[in-house]
Amino acid sequence: MTEKPIVRVSHVSRYFKRGAERVNVLNDLDLNVPEGQFLALMGPSGSGKTTLLNLIAGLDTPSEGEIWVGDRCVSTMNESQLARWRNEHVGFVFQFYHLLPVLSAFENVELPLLLLPLNAKKRREQVKTALDLVGLNDRNSHLPSQLSGGQQQRVGIARAIVTDPTLIVADEPTGDLDAKSAHEILDLLGTLQRSLNKTILMVTHDMRAARRADRIQHLDKGRLVDQPDEALYEAS
Amino acid sequence: MKFLMLILKNLRRNWVRSMLTSAGVMVLVFVITLIWSILGFLDMATSEKSANFKGIVTEKWSIPSQLPFSYASTLENGAARVESDVKPMDSMTWQFFIGSVDKTNIGFSTFIFAFCMEPKKLLTMMDELDSLQPGPRAELDVAIKAMEQNRQGIIVGQKRLAAIEKKVGDRIKVFGINYRDLELECEIVGTFPPGRYDNNTCINRDYLNASLDAYKASKGKPHPLAEKTLNLVWVKVPTKDTFTKMSGQIDNSPMFSAPPVKIETASSGVSNFLAAYKDLLWILRVLLAPAIIITLTVVISNAISISVRERRKEMAVLKVIGFQPNQIIFLVLGEAILLGVISGAISSIGTYFLVNRVIGGIPFPIAFFSSFPVLDGALWWGAAIGFITAFAGSILPALSTRKIKVVDVFSKVA
Repeated sequence: MTEKPIVRVSHVSRYFKRGAERVNVLNDLDLNVPEGQFLALMGPSGSGKTTLLNLIAGLDTPSEGEIWVGDRCVSTMNESQLARWRNEHVGFVFQFYHLLPVLSAFENVELPLLLLPLNAKKRREQVKTALDLVGLNDRNSHLPSQLSGGQQQRVGIARAIVTDPTLIVADEPTGDLDAKSAHEILDLLGTLQRSLNKTILMVTHDMRAARRADRIQHLDKGRLVDQPDEALYEAS
Repeated sequence: MKFLMLILKNLRRNWVRSMLTSAGVMVLVFVITLIWSILGFLDMATSEKSANFKGIVTEKWSIPSQLPFSYASTLENGAARVESDVKPMDSMTWQFFIGSVDKTNIGFSTFIFAFCMEPKKLLTMMDELDSLQPGPRAELDVAIKAMEQNRQGIIVGQKRLAAIEKKVGDRIKVFGINYRDLELECEIVGTFPPGRYDNNTCINRDYLNASLDAYKASKGKPHPLAEKTLNLVWVKVPTKDTFTKMSGQIDNSPMFSAPPVKIETASSGVSNFLAAYKDLLWILRVLLAPAIIITLTVVISNAISISVRERRKEMAVLKVIGFQPNQIIFLVLGEAILLGVISGAISSIGTYFLVNRVIGGIPFPIAFFSSFPVLDGALWWGAAIGFITAFAGSILPALSTRKIKVVDVFSKVA
C-alpha cells in the first residue's frame, strides 16, 4: 500500500433544499484516501456517510468543494461523463446485491463489460477471472434466485471488480448476510485489497466489519470526527 | 447486438405478461389486417386504370339497371355506327339470375346468384379469371367448353357448391326469385378457382333467353321481365381517350332512348355500387381501424409502464454501473418494439396464409364481392403496425427512466 492519495475530498459540502429550508448533509469535509487502502465509513443514521460515498463514487455532485479520484476531478463531470467514468473506474457492491434476476451469474458479471469496447472472447475471459477470484466459477450459469445470499454477494463483488476499477465502493456489503457469510465476504474484500491493491471504501454500521478495514472514519452531522459518540450508535 | 441478450432476457422476465401482451397485439393486428385488406381491395377496385379500361353500360336513370336484351349487340360494339367510330377490344353482357335450388326453402344453403353471360367471356373479361395461372385456366377452360356444348351447363363457385351440397356432374333445378315462375334445369359442369367467385354461379345466357322464350310459348304471354333482362354490358377499351369517344357514341346513339343508358368506368361503376355501403366502409376506415391502433398502443404502453415501474431499482443499478440514460431508454424501447414487431409479423403473415391458402378469402359479401383476399402488403403490415404502436406505446415509459435517480440504489439507512 502506498501513501499517495487516490481519493481527495476537499472542502466538500452537500446540502438539499426542502422548501425554503436548507438541509446540510455534509459540511466543509476533507478526506484523503491513499491508494490501496481499505477505509470503513461509520456513523449514525443521517450522518452523511452514504452521501459521501455517493459523491466519491460519482453518483452525486457536491454543492461546494472538489472531489478528485486519481487524476480526475469527479465533481465537475456531467452526467454522461460520470456514467462512463463509473463504468471504467468504480466497482459497486450493494447491501441487497442488486443482481438482475433474469441474468445468470456470468451474465450479471458481464454487464459492465457490455459498455466497453471488448469482444465476446475478451469479455468471457474477464468474467471468468472475476468469478475465479470470488470462487464461483462453478455457479456461472445459475440465476440469482438459485444462489444463497453469500453467493449472490460474491457475484456482486465479481461484477464490481470485472472492469479492474480504481476504486471499490461497498454500501453495507454484509448488512443482509448471516454472520458466516458476512465473515466470508469481508475476507474476500480483504483479499482483493491485498492481492490486487484495490482501494475500498465501505459504509457500515457493524463495528466488527469495520475493524477488518485499515482505517475507520467516523461521521457525525456531516463532519468527520475522531471519537464517535457511542450513544449515537446505540440510538441508531 | 450486445444488448439484444438483455432485451430478450427481460422479455422472459414475466412470461405471462409478455405472452398476454403478444396475444393482444396478434389479435388486434389480425383484425386490422382483415379490415385493411377489405378496404385496400375495394380501393383497388375503385381506382382508375391507366390502360385497358373497362366500362359499364347501365340504365341511365334507374337502379337496378334493367335493359331490353335487344340493346346487347349494339352495346357490345360500343354503339359504333360508322367506320371511324371506335369499337371495344372485348365485351360481355350480364343478366342476373337469382334463384333457389329448393322452392319451399329459400336460404343460404339453397341460394344461387348467377351471372348469365357468354361462357367464353369468363376467360377474357372477368377480373382475376382473365389472369389465371395455366393450371386453373385449363380446368376452367374445360368447364367453359362443356357450357358451350351443353347450354344448360353451369359453373358454380366451390363454397356455393358445398353450401347446396352438390358436386360437379349433378343436375339441379333452380327456381327463379327475380324471374318468378321460371325454372332452370341445369347441370353442374365445373367450378371456379378458389377465391373471388366462390359463391357465384355462371349460367349460359342463351339458356336463360331460351327459357324466357319457352315461358312465353307455354304461358301465352311474355315473362314480366322479358324486356328487362339485360342488367349490365361491360366493354374493354385500350385507353381513356377511346373510352371518352365511345361514351359519346353511346350517349348520342338514337338506339337507346327508351330506356336511356349511360356508360361509366368500371371503377366509377363499382364506386356507385359501393355507395350503399358508404357508412359501413367509413366506420371501418375512420373509426374502427384507428380505434384498434390506439387500443394496441394503450395495451403496449400499459405493459411497458408496469414493467418499468417494477424495475426502477434495476435500472438505477444499470445507471450506477455506467449505462447512459439513452442506453436504458433503448433497452426499454427495444423490449416493446421486439415484442410488437415479432407478434405483429406473426399475426399478419399467419393471417395472410390462413385466409388466402386455407379459408380462401375473408367472407364479407359486399357489392359484387363475396370474399376478399388478404393483400400482399399484409406480409409487412403486421411488423410495421407492431413497430409503430410499440414505439408510440413505450416512448413515454422509456423516457420516464431518465427520472430514475442513481443514488436510490444505496440503502437509505446509512
